[in-house]
Amino acid sequence: MNRSLALGILAAAVLPVVVAAADSRKQTDSNDGWSLHPLVRPAVPRIQGSKFNVQNPVDAFIVAKLVEKKFAQSPEADARTLVRRLYFDLLGLPPKPEEVEAFVKEFSPAPPLPRSPAPDNARDKGRLGERERAAIEALVDKLLASPHYGERWARHWLDVVHYGDTHGYDKDKPRPNAWPYRDYVIRAFNGDKPYARFVQEQIAGDVLFPGTQDGVEALGFIAAGPWDLIGHAEVPETKIDGKIARHLDRDDMVANTMSTFASLTVHCAQCHDHKFDPIPQADYYSLQAVFAALDRADKTYDTDPAIARRRADLLAKQRDLKPKLDALNKQLAAAGGRDLELLDKLIRETKAGAAAEERPEFGWHSQISAKQEVVKWVQVDLGASVPVEQVVYVACHDNFNNIGAGFGFPVRFKVEAGDDANFEQGVTMLEDQSKADVPNPGVSPRSIAAGRTARFLRFTATKLAPRQNDFIFALAEVQALDKSGRNLALGAAVTSPDSIEALPRWSRKNLTDGYYYGAGKGQPATKLADLERQRADLVARVAEASLLAEFATHAKTTNEVAAELAKLPAPKVVYAGTVHHGSGSFRGTGPDGGKPREIRVLHRGDVKQPKEGAVPGALSCVSALPSHFSIPSSAAEGDRRAALAKWLSSPDNPLAWRSIVNRVWQHHFGHGLVDTPNDFGRNGARPTHPELLDWLACEFRDSGGSFKKLHKLIVMSATWRQASETPGQGDAETRRRAASPAAPRPRGPAAAWIDSDNRYLWRQNRRKLDAESVRDSVLAVAGKLDPRMGGPAFQDFVIEKPEHSPHYEYHLHDPDDPRSHRRSIYRFIVRSQLHPFMTTLDCADPSISVSRRNESVSALQALALLNNGLMVTMSKHFAATLNTAGGDTATQVKRAFTEALGRPPSAKEAGDLTAFANQHGLANACRLLFNLNEFAFVD
Amino acid sequence: MRNDSPFHRLPRQSRARTRREFLWRSGGGLGGIALASLLGRENLPAAEARSATPHAECRTPHFAPKAKRVVQLFMAGAASHLDLFDFKPELIKRHGEPSDFGEPVEAFQNGLGPWLRPVWEFKPYGQTGRMLSEPVADLGRVADELAFVHDLVGKTGVHSQATLLQATGFNLPGFPGMGCWVSYGLGTENENLPTFVVLPDHRGFASNGSKNWDAAFLPSHYSGTVIHPGAETPIADLFAHKKGDFITRDSEAAAQSVLAKLNRDHAATREGDGRLDARIRSYELAARMQLAAPEALDISKEPDAMLDLYGVKRYPPTWPKEINAGEERDCFGRKCLVARRLLERGVRFVQVWSGNDNGFPRRNWDSHEDVQRDHGPLAAGFARGASALILDLKQRGLLDDTIVLWTTEFGRMPSTQGGKGRDHNPFCFTNWLCGGGIKPGVTHGESDLWGYKPADRNNPTTVYDIHATMLHLLGVDHERLTFRHNGIDRRLTDVHGHVIRGLVA
Repeated sequence: MNRSLALGILAAAVLPVVVAAADSRKQTDSNDGWSLHPLVRPAVPRIQGSKFNVQNPVDAFIVAKLVEKKFAQSPEADARTLVRRLYFDLLGLPPKPEEVEAFVKEFSPAPPLPRSPAPDNARDKGRLGERERAAIEALVDKLLASPHYGERWARHWLDVVHYGDTHGYDKDKPRPNAWPYRDYVIRAFNGDKPYARFVQEQIAGDVLFPGTQDGVEALGFIAAGPWDLIGHAEVPETKIDGKIARHLDRDDMVANTMSTFASLTVHCAQCHDHKFDPIPQADYYSLQAVFAALDRADKTYDTDPAIARRRADLLAKQRDLKPKLDALNKQLAAAGGRDLELLDKLIRETKAGAAAEERPEFGWHSQISAKQEVVKWVQVDLGASVPVEQVVYVACHDNFNNIGAGFGFPVRFKVEAGDDANFEQGVTMLEDQSKADVPNPGVSPRSIAAGRTARFLRFTATKLAPRQNDFIFALAEVQALDKSGRNLALGAAVTSPDSIEALPRWSRKNLTDGYYYGAGKGQPATKLADLERQRADLVARVAEASLLAEFATHAKTTNEVAAELAKLPAPKVVYAGTVHHGSGSFRGTGPDGGKPREIRVLHRGDVKQPKEGAVPGALSCVSALPSHFSIPSSAAEGDRRAALAKWLSSPDNPLAWRSIVNRVWQHHFGHGLVDTPNDFGRNGARPTHPELLDWLACEFRDSGGSFKKLHKLIVMSATWRQASETPGQGDAETRRRAASPAAPRPRGPAAAWIDSDNRYLWRQNRRKLDAESVRDSVLAVAGKLDPRMGGPAFQDFVIEKPEHSPHYEYHLHDPDDPRSHRRSIYRFIVRSQLHPFMTTLDCADPSISVSRRNESVSALQALALLNNGLMVTMSKHFAATLNTAGGDTATQVKRAFTEALGRPPSAKEAGDLTAFANQHGLANACRLLFNLNEFAFVD
Repeated sequence: MRNDSPFHRLPRQSRARTRREFLWRSGGGLGGIALASLLGRENLPAAEARSATPHAECRTPHFAPKAKRVVQLFMAGAASHLDLFDFKPELIKRHGEPSDFGEPVEAFQNGLGPWLRPVWEFKPYGQTGRMLSEPVADLGRVADELAFVHDLVGKTGVHSQATLLQATGFNLPGFPGMGCWVSYGLGTENENLPTFVVLPDHRGFASNGSKNWDAAFLPSHYSGTVIHPGAETPIADLFAHKKGDFITRDSEAAAQSVLAKLNRDHAATREGDGRLDARIRSYELAARMQLAAPEALDISKEPDAMLDLYGVKRYPPTWPKEINAGEERDCFGRKCLVARRLLERGVRFVQVWSGNDNGFPRRNWDSHEDVQRDHGPLAAGFARGASALILDLKQRGLLDDTIVLWTTEFGRMPSTQGGKGRDHNPFCFTNWLCGGGIKPGVTHGESDLWGYKPADRNNPTTVYDIHATMLHLLGVDHERLTFRHNGIDRRLTDVHGHVIRGLVA
């Protein structure tokens, strides 16, 4: 307490000096719109003398500033610090102890350097030779090639674009098809996609790179932010509230685009010309015009270009056929009169009734298996031996993950009946499909003859259903029918060696609850067939033969096209910015052929006060590029986006390249060269190293926009490799001298006083782990991290009341559920109910663009890290792993410490922890390790 | 061209914008914030407390405060001003006649029916003769304390946007709740408890969920802490998850001590990083919160008379499934009683919710179908708890510096929409306030003859004015309480808002 208090007061005491300096700079140096100046590659400063460690041009720029400020460079960090820092910077995961040791050995065969920097000769001592350099380079290359790299850096990107898996606002419905965009971003980083292409795909991938998977999935960018379902689905565009909702929606698209790619607050020009930057209001509405045809909606696509082409052809054919068929139908309706009208109404109603209510009780689900050739069974107990005529079974339909019909149905299986619960004697084989693979039956019920009395029915999978990287067995329903067709298995007890009980979707009792996907469709079907026969008779009676013949030909072709379409594999779906083909209030521009909505400049941003029309364009303040896109009004909407994509990614757009290198820099140092990554305008910060920023921007642009090259350049620099320690605060005399204008070149201690925030990078910054790194590290150290990549998000909550406004109940989640042990980037991100644990750890809020996370320390954070279900269960698992490995407590504690922190404990640390573990158990010691400052910070 | 929209009135005088973010960032960087928030002002001499504040502009109070804390009662789904507080005899006179608004009206759901009289009788209460309807008769006990605003206007009739506007000052998600701003501006009075507490409806969250109280771009510790009084785990993670069966009282004490020791050794070789010290201290605070929070939430020792005042049953029965007055009274009263205990112990801002989402069967105030059915029990429930809270604060001398604010999303239409319900009315609704420097018994702003729009359409009251007034009473200039996010100096009141002088005592 006293110590903290003292620091607070000391910090206050030094402030006036710093503030005065900042203010005077601002006044003399009128902000000249630096970010809009054309990009010119600056000369790399020449650093004279050997006092500084200059590994590459990055260092030259940084050191030049240090020389100017009379600051010293800090010594190189030691090998253990470097390896841990590299892992977290590039992968967001801790190194394993053996990885640390291997690196330390490569790096320095001699004993590692002392931790605290020596005062004077440290620079010479800390400078690296070729061997160390090679060791670092090898590790950097290895880490950049790891698929975990993409997961780490995609998360930074998703923060900025405010990605989420629900809509937000009222009701906050899930957005089950958002994840392909998340996977696209991960893939882009792992594949080192050139930045210009990365930009272009996210704005106009469908237009610029037609027929590619990336070109469509990238459009998830436009739809990444929140969406007001009620404002769109319940209020049409003709109403004021509907106009406001759509205006807000486009505003989010514009703000997202310009904040992300150009680091400007263009959205501030919505009500008036921008107050600080040269952005007229008209420019803002020109950008709205770019997105004027779009809505946020599910977009279907094919990953196979041949199928994509085939589907496009068939759909075009279908579109061509439709008007003619409609016209013929109209003629028929006229001929059929009121009788036909009534009959059609009846048919519609019957069809609606037949579309059985979908319920969430999917069925029974086995535990997940890593191998496919594993025998798993589930069996039904009819209570007594009874005569069974037929056995009916139905596969699952998991609509939530969009896997659909036949989910989890085994590739090989057998069905048996008997009176012995263990199926050892008196077993009748009803169906044996265990010899060869069988095709998936979808959701149609399958029935097999039984013809015997039996008490037990057993369904055994001998080869499980494959998923992405593992195998399962799931079944929706098993019925035992007697002669009269009565289901004897309704409500019968179900047993199985294992099961995933995740109510309401998965449970043993779902197997005999009488419900399966499509249940109840049977009855109206006969009625429907009957009605359709009546209709055919009526039409034949009333319509002229020629009309009938023409109709029949057209109907036949239409049906053929539909049948061809049905034969194609189901298309993939991504939630994206797209032309929406809707009806009712949420109609979209699809029914108008995707024609962009008319955009007008709104006086004071008020939809009730539209002024002159806006034409698609970008920003007039970027002088190097034309801001008006000369696009004829008859052009397809996509041309507008393509033009903006090219504008944003042009080599001559100074904003784009400065923006992105600054973002990358920030994640390697804790803050950017420009401290406001989303605002390069007058209200934002100025670059601390403008020449370095421009040099990096040019270097990045001219070397193909490769993120991996940029990372390597930065982390191989001596600047990045500095130690993070702040040398001693110094005595009063040092401080006095540092503040004096005639001060000689200050050593580290003085730099700490003048530049306590380390803007000039005279050391590396110690960084606090972000929420994802904490969670992923805890899982990894506990040995529970599931490294599977991609696919639908995991849900670490239970949804209650899904029918209206889903309640996302995190406290009902079982932290031991292995499905939730994947990396945090695969978490299902809910907007209306932020993840309590992650949010307490300053995770990004998916409703806003987060260019830099807050870093807070609070009692609630301490409570979360001590008590959250994840933390206590992982502490247990960690302890269990250590116990399995054996050894006495001291050995186990030492191993735990090394796993968690990447270094062996000192004798004192080992002693304290071993004593604690002896008294309170290993799990408590593991929990303690997870709560250490050293665990939460990277030096 | 002049825009007469109330949301676009220009400030009376343009103020010079000064930026002092650099000060904040330099003050030991983010560690400075952590320190400031963790040290707690009461432990610091005033001068140091001010300089440890994040923004120089936010050195608060800007002037002498009248209030120290706030309790906000939020009616989710939009409570009808016409059936509770804004008495319109004209509607009784014209009941059943075809409605005529004198202009085309764009209702949220189409099809406005005839004029609908208030579904309950109104009676005068107190010396001021305040007209209140039957289900809120309990408020008659404190009628003379209340100050009413009958001419509030919203921006849209969409629930989510309207809720966000009242709760955060913006009609789109991504902005801090008002309690976050108050916590950020004034800090804590008791670091052993959260500064901003949210007591949600017992059925669940209202539309937008936690977006109504999230910190958004403010540091996360300014966000509202959700408390479910009486639940198995009233505060998330206050105690170890049930799977943590290996954790005992003894192990916990020993862990704290070993943890602090190892952390101190670690910090000793890393001088000058305030975050490390702040984090050590955060574990001490966490331990103290584990003691303080259960004590604050425990109403079992409250005497019967006190429970009775709030309408709380010591042993609540199993309530029927349908919405009913007994349950509303018990649940809302319980939250009000807990709110009083929290305010008493230094919690800065408490937000109490009535009403869940806008689903069916109705579980909030969105009475499109039947005002009587939903509003009746909900009104009776909140009126008992709210009036008890005011009486109780008063008898403890806390009402003088505690603002009570009753608000909702928007109002409801003076006509039916065909049946017994009323459609959304974002053009006019009611707020009431009391305590904390609010002038008792006054009415600021009237609605027109039907309660359809403000009587003076050119000078309505907006949520910005309410927020500005609230901050003013807390000693904060709403234009100077700012936080820079993505290049914009954000305020609770955006670029709007005037202190309502007529409400200030």
